[in-house]
Amino acid sequence: MIVDAHVHLGDGLFGQRYSRHDLLAAMDEAGIDRAVVSPLKPRGYHFGAANDLVAEAVRSSNGRLLAFGRVDPWQGEAAVDEAERCFTQLGFKGLLLHPWEELFPVNDPIVFPLIDLTARHGCPIMLAGGYPVVSHPSRIADLAGRFPSVTFMVTSGGQINISGGMLAQAEAMLRSSPNVLMETSGIYREDFIEDMAAALGPERLIFGSGAPTYDPRHELDRIRRAHLPDAARVLIGGENLRMLLSWEESSVRRSRTNRGHD
Amino acid sequence: MKIIDAHTHVDEVGAWQDPPEVIVRLMDEAAIEQAVVMTYRDAPAIQSAPDLLDPIEYTRRAVERYPERLIGFARINPRAGDEADRLLRLAVLEYGMKGLKLHPVAYRALPDGPDTLRLLRLAGDLGVPALFHCGDEEFTLPLQIELAAALCPQTVIILGHMGGYFHVQDAIAAAERQSNIILETSAMPYPWRIAEAVQRIGAERVLYASDGPGCDPSLEVAKVRRAGLRDADLELVFHGTIERLLRLSP
Repeated sequence: MIVDAHVHLGDGLFGQRYSRHDLLAAMDEAGIDRAVVSPLKPRGYHFGAANDLVAEAVRSSNGRLLAFGRVDPWQGEAAVDEAERCFTQLGFKGLLLHPWEELFPVNDPIVFPLIDLTARHGCPIMLAGGYPVVSHPSRIADLAGRFPSVTFMVTSGGQINISGGMLAQAEAMLRSSPNVLMETSGIYREDFIEDMAAALGPERLIFGSGAPTYDPRHELDRIRRAHLPDAARVLIGGENLRMLLSWEESSVRRSRTNRGHD
Repeated sequence: MKIIDAHTHVDEVGAWQDPPEVIVRLMDEAAIEQAVVMTYRDAPAIQSAPDLLDPIEYTRRAVERYPERLIGFARINPRAGDEADRLLRLAVLEYGMKGLKLHPVAYRALPDGPDTLRLLRLAGDLGVPALFHCGDEEFTLPLQIELAAALCPQTVIILGHMGGYFHVQDAIAAAERQSNIILETSAMPYPWRIAEAVQRIGAERVLYASDGPGCDPSLEVAKVRRAGLRDADLELVFHGTIERLLRLSP
């Protein structure tokens, strides 16, 4: 089973629009069975309605989608309240924090109450990783070290740097923080995927596309074409995430693009 | 369809042990006929690493082992001044290398600085292109390299990675403004940007490359195919443009 750990839905502030319909069609084309979805940063800036839209997409997905909530830590108590609503009323399975788009250092104390809350619900945190300044792998390692019992899924392997300048730091982050998993969307260098799977175990890697920023077909190609043992490819392609989220392996009838719109 | 990879690496330094056999194996997997190779290190070699083979010599030997498959580019630090010029002449005139590689992150000089401009003009005089690492970091931004391209109109300048993650728009716009700029596709993660580049500047100025062996040539080939180009443009991107550029026999 192929599970995409990282997709955004909604009408985004930065010009992206991605609906449940768009996503399910892309999943069918790429051969992706399930996906974890969270909101695009919304045009209206506030995540309440955006989280509601994602919840509706999950309800209409015939079991193919799960959701992570998204909040802006700068909203303080309001963000904590919204995160709590995501878990208790919307049935979300994790929380996404985006230091680049919400403009905060990933290890800033403003995120601590949100991580505590997520931990109380027994859920993981997804961090948009590897962005300049705000989510450098050294900062992610600092945060992960403060919350050793929380699982952090770090997108792009924690390194967005096309000269390879962050590779060593991303590896150091993974080695020092056993509670960090690396997600693969838009990642630089496929040998990083192969080497980390070999060195740290394929249990530490999770396939994600980062759609609509990245192309899900190309992102899944990274995993399909990587020089990995088949057993590792199965884990990274979906089994790791399915087990992390306790997502039952019951059969899911694939939706088709003619099932209607949101 | 014939494929020539415009940007790959050979070198053995520290943890990066990539003798030419590594890239040749990946080329075979991807059905790539030929590849341009360059080292991870700048020439001239640093004095504190006497056990490492000189980068130009390393490249020369790699090509000598696989003369039908590999094409050498000389990776040089322009801040070496006269020595940089001597090395480029040696590489091109004596060793038959077909291009210059510049990685300003390594040597930290602006592309339009006097040392780099002098070396770029020499490359133009020698009839070889200059491939810049072009991404998201200082000294490598498309708008910075464009300044050099404008000052060296006789030199073909290739923007390796075509602007990386955050600067692809700038790379395409720079290529629209400067007719001596060519875009190279390696590691840039958006397949649709390749289609956009071809539509805006023409496939005659777009090159397929992988940045292998770290980046997988098979994946990078598949990425270009996902751009949805028509066959005539694919032929140019995969081999026609670089054959013309490096005067390779088709």
